[in-house]
Amino acid sequence: MEPTTQVSASIDALTRELEIITHNLANASTAGFKRRCNAFSKALDAQQGTAETYEPGNIDLESAFDFSQGSLVQTGRNLDFALMGNGLFVVETPEGPLYTRNGTFQTNQNGQIVDSMGRTVAGEAGPITVPVSVGLAQLQVSADGRVTAGDINIGKLQVVDFQENQSKLVPAGANCFVMPDKDIRPEPADNVVIKQGYQEASNVMIVDELVDMIMVTRLYEANMRYVSAQSETSSSIMGVAMG
Amino acid sequence: MLKAFSTAATGMTGQQMMVDVIANNLANINTTGFKRSQINFQDLLYVKMSQAGAEVASGINSPTGLEIGSGVRASATVKVFTVGELDNTGRPLDIAIYGDGFLQVTMPNGDIRYTRDGALQVNANGQLVNTAGYSIEPAITLPTDAVAVDIGKDGTVNVTDVGGTTSVVGTLQLVRFPNPAGLSNEGDNLFSETEASGTAVTGTPGENGFGAIQSSMLERSNVQMVTELVNLITAQRAYEINARAIRAGDEMLRTATTIGR
Repeated sequence: MEPTTQVSASIDALTRELEIITHNLANASTAGFKRRCNAFSKALDAQQGTAETYEPGNIDLESAFDFSQGSLVQTGRNLDFALMGNGLFVVETPEGPLYTRNGTFQTNQNGQIVDSMGRTVAGEAGPITVPVSVGLAQLQVSADGRVTAGDINIGKLQVVDFQENQSKLVPAGANCFVMPDKDIRPEPADNVVIKQGYQEASNVMIVDELVDMIMVTRLYEANMRYVSAQSETSSSIMGVAMG
Repeated sequence: MLKAFSTAATGMTGQQMMVDVIANNLANINTTGFKRSQINFQDLLYVKMSQAGAEVASGINSPTGLEIGSGVRASATVKVFTVGELDNTGRPLDIAIYGDGFLQVTMPNGDIRYTRDGALQVNANGQLVNTAGYSIEPAITLPTDAVAVDIGKDGTVNVTDVGGTTSVVGTLQLVRFPNPAGLSNEGDNLFSETEASGTAVTGTPGENGFGAIQSSMLERSNVQMVTELVNLITAQRAYEINARAIRAGDEMLRTATTIGR
């Protein structure tokens, strides 16, 4: 590859990198948000021998989601749920199921448990409806997702796990993921605990992102310097050649 | 131009909204029956640059895709209907609802509003009204010769007259909604019913999961000062960091414009 082409490719990659970082930072307060890893953390992994390959100057550096656990924040709200461990809540849409770690749920006018966009949250045996005869204050959800209102058992929240296929999830916006490959079916999650009255905070670490951001700006500058230096060199060569 | 600018700007707007919500919570820290609001965020749509699972070479699929997000937006502010602390006031007409339920208030135009604020008053006609003077539904009138009033756990209003005879003059009722977070805030501690909240269900205090009435008590705001202050600090710092991201993008563009000078 021509040095200049390589530099411009790396400038493109750095620009994209900054976009990923700003998106992470913008979502520092989004419950259940999972940060995108950026190329630097990948490069670092490669050096430590944990990732497959890393080629410098490769513009197609893909950014996987970091599905690590976010911290739990107590809200005291009966319909806020946090997941501890591997698992995803299922949200039903006409286009098929979406998966989310954001357990900030509501009830709709019929008492059905829905997400913040009003889409039904899946229970293991269909949508869960809180009977009108029982107040929301009496809604209890056990660690394994069984929902009771007063003394009545009204269903079980569906929590699924994609295991090794988790990295194939694609973001769909509004805190949700979608599985593009229809053949991959999730398993019921077994290593997960549901905490009622808590939200899972975003797993974005502001300081880490800030450090990456400084790196990106400086590397960008260095690449640009190289372009300037190249153009000076070539113009002086031209000067010599043309007399 | 850099997409990073608009992404970081959405972050700043979001954090600013969070500060607005916190400020309102803090301002109402001493408002009777006030319920704190909680702001929820969600990530915006992603620009897809390469698809996960796309074939990169024969038989080899790319394990992850490349999608660049466009920031954040506030999805909802929800009222958190947890019970606030009960304060003993010693005033027999102050009532607190210990648990689920709202009192009903009739507005001058006949509309019904709902409230958790139980600082009841008596107007010139002896009728029970809220602090703004709107009558409580069902209407309860105290006789003019009443010397003492006592409100029971089930909402019955007992009065004692000059002669010492006790009689029941009415019963307070409570209502509940399938989705209380869907009620619309009308200010003055009042809520109104919406499509989203569902239809009000009426009941007797202390029965079927409705809260019991505690007389001589008022329900304080459920705002916790420490929680709000911690959230405030987080929001402020996150705002700063997003501003810093804009500056970083600006620096990068400045470097770009100096090429070839």
